[in-house]
Amino acid sequence: MPYVLYIASTLGAVALFMMMPRHGYSPRKLGALLGAVTLGGLWLFLAQHYLEPASDRGITAPAVVYHYIFSGLAIVAAVRVITHDKPVYAALWFVMIVLASAGLLLVLSAEFMAVAMVIIYGGAILVTYVFVIMLASQPGDTAAPDDAPAYDRVSREPAAAVVVGFVLLALLLSAMFATGDSTDSPWLTPNVMAQAPSDELIIEKVLTNRAAQRALDRIGGQGEATVSQTFARTDQLDNTERVGLDLFEGHPLGLELAGVILLMSLVGAVVIARTRVEASQPQEKS
Amino acid sequence: MPQALGSLTLSHFLLTGAVLFVLGLIGFLSRRNLIIMFLCTEMMFQGVVLTLVAFSRFQSNYTGQTFVIFVLTIAAAEAAMALGLVVLLFRRKRTLDASVWSALSE
Amino acid sequence: MTFELPILICWLPALGAVLCGLCCMHRRLRVCAGPICVLSILLPFVVTLVGRERFTGENPTIVHMFNWIHAGRFIADFSYLLDPLTFVMLMVVTGIGTLVAVYACGYMAGDRGYARFFASVALFIFAMTNLVMADNLVLLYLGWEGVGLCSYLLIGYYYDKPSAVKAAKKAFIVNRVGDLGFAIGIFLTYTRYDTVSIAHVLQNVGPAATSWEDHWIPFMLMLGAFGKSAQFPLHVWLPDAMEGPTPVSALIHAATMVTAGVYLIARLMPLFLLSPYALPTVAVVGGLTAFFAATIALCQYDIKRIYAYSTISQLGYMFMGIGVLSTVGGIFHLFTHAFFKALLFLTAGSVIHAMAGQLDLRKMSGLRKKMPWTCGLMFIGCLALAGFPFTAGFYSKDMILAATLERGINHHNIAIIALGVIGLVTALLTALYTFRLWFRVFMGPTEYEMGLDHHGHEEEEEEEADHGGRGDVQVEHIHEPHEVSWLMNGPLLVLAAGALLAGWLGQRHHWMKHMVEHSTAAVADPDEHGVHLHTIMLFVSSAIAIAGIIIAAYFHWLRREAADTVTQRFATVVRVLNNKYYVDKFYDASIVRPLRTAGELCFAIDRLAIGLVVALVGCVPRALGISIQSSQKRTIQGYGLGMAVGVAVILLLMMVMK
Repeated sequence: MPYVLYIASTLGAVALFMMMPRHGYSPRKLGALLGAVTLGGLWLFLAQHYLEPASDRGITAPAVVYHYIFSGLAIVAAVRVITHDKPVYAALWFVMIVLASAGLLLVLSAEFMAVAMVIIYGGAILVTYVFVIMLASQPGDTAAPDDAPAYDRVSREPAAAVVVGFVLLALLLSAMFATGDSTDSPWLTPNVMAQAPSDELIIEKVLTNRAAQRALDRIGGQGEATVSQTFARTDQLDNTERVGLDLFEGHPLGLELAGVILLMSLVGAVVIARTRVEASQPQEKS
Repeated sequence: MPQALGSLTLSHFLLTGAVLFVLGLIGFLSRRNLIIMFLCTEMMFQGVVLTLVAFSRFQSNYTGQTFVIFVLTIAAAEAAMALGLVVLLFRRKRTLDASVWSALSE
Repeated sequence: MTFELPILICWLPALGAVLCGLCCMHRRLRVCAGPICVLSILLPFVVTLVGRERFTGENPTIVHMFNWIHAGRFIADFSYLLDPLTFVMLMVVTGIGTLVAVYACGYMAGDRGYARFFASVALFIFAMTNLVMADNLVLLYLGWEGVGLCSYLLIGYYYDKPSAVKAAKKAFIVNRVGDLGFAIGIFLTYTRYDTVSIAHVLQNVGPAATSWEDHWIPFMLMLGAFGKSAQFPLHVWLPDAMEGPTPVSALIHAATMVTAGVYLIARLMPLFLLSPYALPTVAVVGGLTAFFAATIALCQYDIKRIYAYSTISQLGYMFMGIGVLSTVGGIFHLFTHAFFKALLFLTAGSVIHAMAGQLDLRKMSGLRKKMPWTCGLMFIGCLALAGFPFTAGFYSKDMILAATLERGINHHNIAIIALGVIGLVTALLTALYTFRLWFRVFMGPTEYEMGLDHHGHEEEEEEEADHGGRGDVQVEHIHEPHEVSWLMNGPLLVLAAGALLAGWLGQRHHWMKHMVEHSTAAVADPDEHGVHLHTIMLFVSSAIAIAGIIIAAYFHWLRREAADTVTQRFATVVRVLNNKYYVDKFYDASIVRPLRTAGELCFAIDRLAIGLVVALVGCVPRALGISIQSSQKRTIQGYGLGMAVGVAVILLLMMVMK
């Protein structure tokens, strides 16, 4: 089993390496093809040999399709981010990653997180990035001013980076997909093959949660609150409310600190950006 | 096929998250543009977010998603400061090339 | 700590040494050092004289000063044994010491190290008085080593002369060989008698030897005595010790330090009597050394070295005397020898000083017109050394020779008779070489070659403001020998009086005999009923002395060319004697060179082998550092790569380690 992962990692490494920008010709299209094949093959293999047969408890079929679509999109976009010449394009491809990731989060029934991601990343962070890219962009060398400058066109030590990255990936994957044969190691992920629990199971577990207990007190339950009543109540809690409950009941201090951190970074960014720095131009010194 | 497609396990999402993380790492190590390097770190954040939310969903514990909120906060704060610094660095050397900032080597 | 008068004898010089040391600090204070030193030696002399009843009582008095070493059963205190032998030695040490110190005030005037000199001299007197008054062997050893140290300091006084430094080292090292014997002797004494206190040891000495240590103790102690008193084969340091200033030679290497060996044997006489071979060995070594040194002195040209060999020879006489059980003779000769040898050295010093450092006999002649007083004083000393009738040396030497021949004849021992005859021949040689020096230097036509040395002159020109008009030796540059000042001549007059009268005074009322026989050096006279040659010896030794003077007068005054003829005819003999029988060369080849080679070998090994290893060890961190340097990429992404690799490794390890 792990060998498939290793083979897939190796092929993926080769594919990515081929797609990296270099001085001369780089076989990008070939690399892209190879990468796509690798990913597809890996998914197929997992689906065939590794996964439990479908049961009625689990995420419905359309969600599965959406998962594959969004995952593929995210991976493609990620590859484009790291191999594209021009920074603005890289930023835009990043936006694509954000959207794809948001889609995956939706599949996971975390709609609040999805929208929060889009707003914060796509709306704030990436806009800032694009602004700074515009601010700090440079033309290419005088021969071809429309091209990106050299430091964008040529990647730095692609081989080392790709090797290290895919070694790490292989290790991570083999940790994730490890079989449960040896049970005495605490580091092996216990039963990642577990399927998604049903919503009822989630609700049950939430009910045993402390935050949820307090929520229960709040939303109702004077006198004797039967399980079914709460049942009827709490299955209407959506992701936003659940996250909110957990956040404000379980981690209020963290919330305050997060606010302080944002304030600090605001002040810091203003201070940094205001500093006047003399550009060093050694050729002008006498 | 439909049978195989019918199940969606935690490992799918973990796979995607791991691939995003590793691609971000490779991008950080191999790009020379300062801004794109930071962008790749944001990509690593994405992978982490995905993994966290997937765990949270599959183990029915909303702490994972709360953590993601905090991660987003920190990421935003960090992005702001990082870009401010990049602007400063750009002003000093008039280039976004990361390899000019290797003054420790002799 | 009990305060007794004898303690002043030892510790006043110590105080003097400290004060003189303090005088070294400032230029203006320097001139005080001389008087301080003289006082610190004169006062003990006065104290000894005034308190002489303490010494000459019936039983030896022991004065305990303070506890020093108490280690279990081993006890060594600062306690002093006062008996007549001590009295005689103290008279010599402090008396001659005072006179030499006064002389040195004039001789060393203007020298930069004036205060250092007197500090060393006072320290020497402290050590010497401790030596002669010590009641236990450890304190004696302290004094022994102390005088060795001061000898080193004073021989190497002119420390910028390499020959002086070498001589000082040689003296110290050769003495060390003897001191080893002495130390082993002390160990054996403690093992045998369970105490190192002299009084206790001598009380417990049985009439005969009972264990093996009793046989070896005398030999070990003898080795120490021979080292200190420069007998063959440990005599090589004394001639070279003449590199020191003349007062040092007079005091230390003629009168006091070198006699410490004789004193040691005399003090521990009962121990030496236990072994039947010890004292004969002493006598033989003493007699042969006397002859051997006298022959060498005959062919030397350095006037101080002649006197050095003469000292070795006379010490040989003293050992011979003690060896034939005439301790009275040995100590008496020590007493008289101190006077005339000090006189001779100091007059030789005056000559050298006047000749601006010229020591060579062949380069001076007929100085009697220039230095009449010195000429007369040295004449008196030479008479005493040769044993001219009624001078000091006459009585003491005669006593020794008489005792030797008596012993030989009474015990029918051919070896001792032969020794006595050798002693007579040596007496002739003594007269010869002594008067050779005197006639060559003072008689004959007046021609001389000045030396190149300006000791004292330059200093005076620099410090004319400081000059207190004390020893007005020379203020302006004079290129002629001239008489010395009264500061220097005064003590010489006293010494000359001693050289003439000490002998007669010593045997008057049998004073010396009384002194020695009431001390621990007392020996029963084994020849009560034998032949007494005393009277005959008086005539024989007088005849020998006068004959020697006449022969010397012929060869070195009247017909000096005859001396050259003789030298040419016996050229080989003269060469051997000139080279001191090649003893020094032998030591150099057999001991010094091998040791030096071994030292250089060790140095080479150390530098190459060990140094190499150390350098290699030193290179390892550097090499490690350089090899790791390349992994420092110094770019952010390099570090990021490292971090990623690290994470991968950790993950791998976590997964592999079950």
